[in-house]
Amino acid sequence: MDQHTLAILIPLLPLAGAVLVGLIGLPLLRSRSHWLVITPVAAALVLAWKLYQDVAATTTLACVAGKRMMFDSFRVYDWLLAESNTWLNVTFRVDPLTCIMLLAVLSVSLLVVIYSVGYMRDHHGHAERGYERFFACLGIFVFSMCTLVLAGNFLVLYAGWELVGLSSYLLIGFYYERPAAAAAAKKAFIVNRIGDFGFGLGILLIYFTFGTLEYSKVFQMIHAGATVGGGALEPARITTIALLLFCGAIGKSAQLPLHVWLPDAMEGPTPVSALIHAATMVTAGVYMVARCHVIFAASEYAMWIVATLGAATAFFAATIALTQFDMKRILAYSTLSQLGYMFLGLGVGAFDSAIFHLFTHAYFKALLFLGAGSVMHAMAGTIDIRRFGGLKRAMPITHGTFLIGGLALAGFPLLSGFWSKDEIIHAALESRMPWLAWVALLTAWLTAFYTFRMIFLAFYGKVKLPQGVEHAHESGAWMSAPLVLLSVGAIFAGYFGVAFHSGGAFGIFEPHGKLHELLGVLFAKPEKAVHGGLLGGHMLMYVSSAIAILGIFTAYFFYRRRPTIPMALALATGPVYRLLYNKYYVDEIYDLVFVRPLRKLGEICYDLDRYFINGILWIITLIPKSIGFGLRRWQQGAIQGYALGMVVGLLVVLWWMLVAA
Amino acid sequence: MIYLADTWLGDHILSIVIFLPIVGAAVLFSRTAWQPDAIRRFALGFSLLTLFFALLALVFYLAKAHEPGIAAGDWRLSEKADWLVGDAESVPLRIQYYIGVDGIGLPLMLLTALLTPLAIWGSFSGIQERHREYYALMLLLHGAMLGVFCARDLLLFYVFFEFTLIPLYFLIGIWGGSQRQKAADMFFIYTLSGSMLTFAGVLYLGWKASTIAFGEAGVREFTFDLDRLYLLAAQGHLSLDVQWWLFVAFFAGFAIKVPLFPLHTWLPLAHTEAPTAGSVILAAVLLKLGTYGFLRLSLPMLPLAAVELAPAIGWLSVAGIIYGALAAWVQSDVKKLVAYSSVSHLGFCLLGMFSLKLAGLTGSVLYMVNHGLSTGALFLIVGMIYERYHTREIDKLGGLARKMPVMAFFLVVFAFASVGLPGLNGFVSEFLVLLGTFTSSKMSNGFSGPLGIPFAAVAASGILLGAIYMLYMVASVLFGPVKEPEHGFDDSTGLTQDLTPREAGILAPLAIACLLLGVFPKPVINLMEPSLNTAVLARFAPAGSAMAGAAVPDEAFAVPTAPIGRTSHVLRNFGDDRGVLPGTKDDRLPRRATVPVLLTDSPAREDTGNPEAAMEVLR
Repeated sequence: MDQHTLAILIPLLPLAGAVLVGLIGLPLLRSRSHWLVITPVAAALVLAWKLYQDVAATTTLACVAGKRMMFDSFRVYDWLLAESNTWLNVTFRVDPLTCIMLLAVLSVSLLVVIYSVGYMRDHHGHAERGYERFFACLGIFVFSMCTLVLAGNFLVLYAGWELVGLSSYLLIGFYYERPAAAAAAKKAFIVNRIGDFGFGLGILLIYFTFGTLEYSKVFQMIHAGATVGGGALEPARITTIALLLFCGAIGKSAQLPLHVWLPDAMEGPTPVSALIHAATMVTAGVYMVARCHVIFAASEYAMWIVATLGAATAFFAATIALTQFDMKRILAYSTLSQLGYMFLGLGVGAFDSAIFHLFTHAYFKALLFLGAGSVMHAMAGTIDIRRFGGLKRAMPITHGTFLIGGLALAGFPLLSGFWSKDEIIHAALESRMPWLAWVALLTAWLTAFYTFRMIFLAFYGKVKLPQGVEHAHESGAWMSAPLVLLSVGAIFAGYFGVAFHSGGAFGIFEPHGKLHELLGVLFAKPEKAVHGGLLGGHMLMYVSSAIAILGIFTAYFFYRRRPTIPMALALATGPVYRLLYNKYYVDEIYDLVFVRPLRKLGEICYDLDRYFINGILWIITLIPKSIGFGLRRWQQGAIQGYALGMVVGLLVVLWWMLVAA
Repeated sequence: MIYLADTWLGDHILSIVIFLPIVGAAVLFSRTAWQPDAIRRFALGFSLLTLFFALLALVFYLAKAHEPGIAAGDWRLSEKADWLVGDAESVPLRIQYYIGVDGIGLPLMLLTALLTPLAIWGSFSGIQERHREYYALMLLLHGAMLGVFCARDLLLFYVFFEFTLIPLYFLIGIWGGSQRQKAADMFFIYTLSGSMLTFAGVLYLGWKASTIAFGEAGVREFTFDLDRLYLLAAQGHLSLDVQWWLFVAFFAGFAIKVPLFPLHTWLPLAHTEAPTAGSVILAAVLLKLGTYGFLRLSLPMLPLAAVELAPAIGWLSVAGIIYGALAAWVQSDVKKLVAYSSVSHLGFCLLGMFSLKLAGLTGSVLYMVNHGLSTGALFLIVGMIYERYHTREIDKLGGLARKMPVMAFFLVVFAFASVGLPGLNGFVSEFLVLLGTFTSSKMSNGFSGPLGIPFAAVAASGILLGAIYMLYMVASVLFGPVKEPEHGFDDSTGLTQDLTPREAGILAPLAIACLLLGVFPKPVINLMEPSLNTAVLARFAPAGSAMAGAAVPDEAFAVPTAPIGRTSHVLRNFGDDRGVLPGTKDDRLPRRATVPVLLTDSPAREDTGNPEAAMEVLR
């Protein structure tokens, strides 16, 4: 099969599975529905692997020659008509970035789908209500995400973008009878739409400026500094486009100030949180910025915004994560924070490092979420780390894999998260904004701390179980196997982007491996504005290792050695603690500043309708009414009056005929 | 079947489509003894038969494309006969029965033909009294609506246009809700008073046509033949001032019908009080009569005024988009919410139309179809809920997804179609409308449209607001804990808790159509595009562009206009030299005004710009 067929089949297989589940899942398959999703996703993964090898082979050649490659998209079919004979097509594009994303998305998807088979059942192994609906939605999600990644133009990107939003909506609201889940689903979709408002306008502005939506053509025109009308491309225009597109990324990747939907999205089933709200969909914004790197790199201002916002979100979310008690919410804030890192990487021009972090993060964060799901399953739905503890013995596999995930997230040396996070900090350090690297390092310490706070509270110490749970038990094979496989990913995924080199850090490791080699044909190397100074060279690796270990140790000290400290600290810093615990009151502020006034405006509109506009109409109807009222006087019904009228009329007519004419 | 296109059937297919339902209505009125079941079956059968013939018309239409002498955007399947012919002293009267379809009317005709049977089918359980009259009126309405989309004579158009009011007036007034009388009166008087002004415009145009000699024979006729009326402005017989007033006259009728903000206040009441099928037809088809009127009449007949007034209409549309969405959000009645969403959606439709770009126009016509499908379906679903619970209050309903999963599935599908989710139909039209509006001010074919980025930027907030009110409705009705009105599910009408196969069968074709139009709209776009170019855009293309040359009808000859006093921005856009006709640069004539319409200098035509002919007409 050639690349085009592969690229078309990859999204279509999961879609076909989902449609089949939708058609025959309920009446025929019920608790066997998962096979119709597992099989196509696995097949798509195989195809994606084939596609990757194909692309890697060609790009490696170009790489050896040191060339940048242009990748053209190919047309799947005509979709919309823009002008006479100009169609906006459905096009796909296959390049190293696509392939890497596909591999990450499909491998995590496959594992999560397998995990869900165990998770979406009760303790007796009976499928939950809506089992087939769940798998159908997962299939739709995989289809949408692959479409998003494979898109060859902005229109298809937007379509995939919205469709993952749909799957997210449907899956967050899976337990639709819970008001919180229904509200969270709605919130996720609407907050995303706020970002999409800008994103859509950005796409329209691209069409307005370049007369096309194809990536390659747009990028070529930007390189040439041309517009469709023939005029020169103004810097302000390209900045506007970049910022509008970035609005979409802010929404989808839950960056400040549109981050509010992601923690709430944890109302969905845990596999969904792992797949959509940690590993794949939320990284779509990062992917999009990397995909449009030509646009962003052309605008220094936009890059500055991306980097600053990323670093700010990373820090901000990490501080909230310090005080939360819901395992999934801690992980959600940690996702925000890690996405912030990725945007920081993008903003300082290290596009490949951001994608690298996206890649490793997909594995260790999915692992952490699934681990949390395993705990939640064992605790009969309880997820508050204050209500259980010491699960280490009862749940050895969950504990072991969760620990690996936690270490990777904390940036423990030689695990996947360490490599990718380090690269981003390194790039930031050498950019024009080195202070952002210091924020990132501080955040790394917080990350290690909150991760191990959670681990120590949940898995160590005295055994403590929530009410109603007699004894904790390890999850079955459907759930454990993906955990183990993901922990392998969490350990080794980093070596995709690391080269072996004698004399490097820790003896043999050197950053910038295979992944960077492949992506190098797309992205230009980030320029080095300043030298790393004290932390230049391999020094940073040792420093960040130390920070990670320090963070873990702090957590150990706080929660294992001196468990009274956290409480004392919370009391001592009362207002600050409450601010963090209440997530900076962002939801409340939005409700007060946006939601209520808008709703009020709606009421005003409706009142205007009923009273003002209809009032005017009423006044207008008074005119004929009053005329009629006036004339009624002449219709008094007395025969003499009519006779008089007739005579007068006759006289007038006579006068007119005889005299006036 | 295609060979039938050249037979008698092919020649009269449109008349059959229009009059079949009317014949059905007449039969129903006369059958006083029939049982309700027979009446229902008969009405459904007749409307389905109409759908069959409408589809046959589509086949014929496509088959005609291969005939010699038929260009892609031409009217096809035309029929022409004298209807009222008077022999006045100086100017004979000629009102024709002149029908035909092109790529704009045909999709709307098909929409009508598809939705009416579904609406009739959907009334089987809802209508419990006066069956005979109800179904007869539905069929009558059906015929009148089909007639509007086929009319090629302005008076015929007007007759059909107004005739739709009568059946609907009774449908709302007899089978409506508790305030039905008020709603029916308001609907009738509101729309009628608007179209009175339109009628004045219609008469003026007919009179104006009678003052000008047409064709080689130089006949002067009091005529409403649209082919000729289009030429009035094209040949410069209508100055900007005249066009402006005519546009306002047409606007009065069409904008109320659409309804354009702030003339929309009749709509929520009419929708809430109408029986389900009435709401469906009202939203899906009757509102489109207004937008279709703009597209078919106002734009091509009065291009100067259209360009001049487009920004004003654009802002009203944008205001309507936001206003309708916000008002929809605060409704407590599901049906009213959907009604207000129509106000918002139709704003998009007009916005795209007045962008005067192909993308915007295509989007606009697609919007008419798509809104008909998704909003029609939403009204059907609201009706299905109402028949079970006898309430439409959002506060009294909740968690219905548990009780009615099939209904929930369809409601989610149509809600997302309405919200503009890619892959469903709403997105296609919404995106094209926004694209057209956004790029409106850009030059293409030598013409830059009247709208621009600010319009699109504000209108795009509609995609956010749309999600807010629609998902609010979906979440309140479907999700959360199950909440039913106190009396709970009521099976007095013989319905089951979840949708019956009949009800699912009504919604399924609509859902499939939504999906198809969303994923692969190309066939429909291909149908519309040439006609939009010929019938609308060509009227705006300046002389000299390829498009203007392509669309010159045979009778057209270049006629200089009287100089236009007011400077419109059209003039600024085209500059003077491009508007001046080659071959008519004659010292005797005053400086030619620049009319961005059918001024022809197509090299293929020899008689263009013949000064004698021009002077002849001027005299």
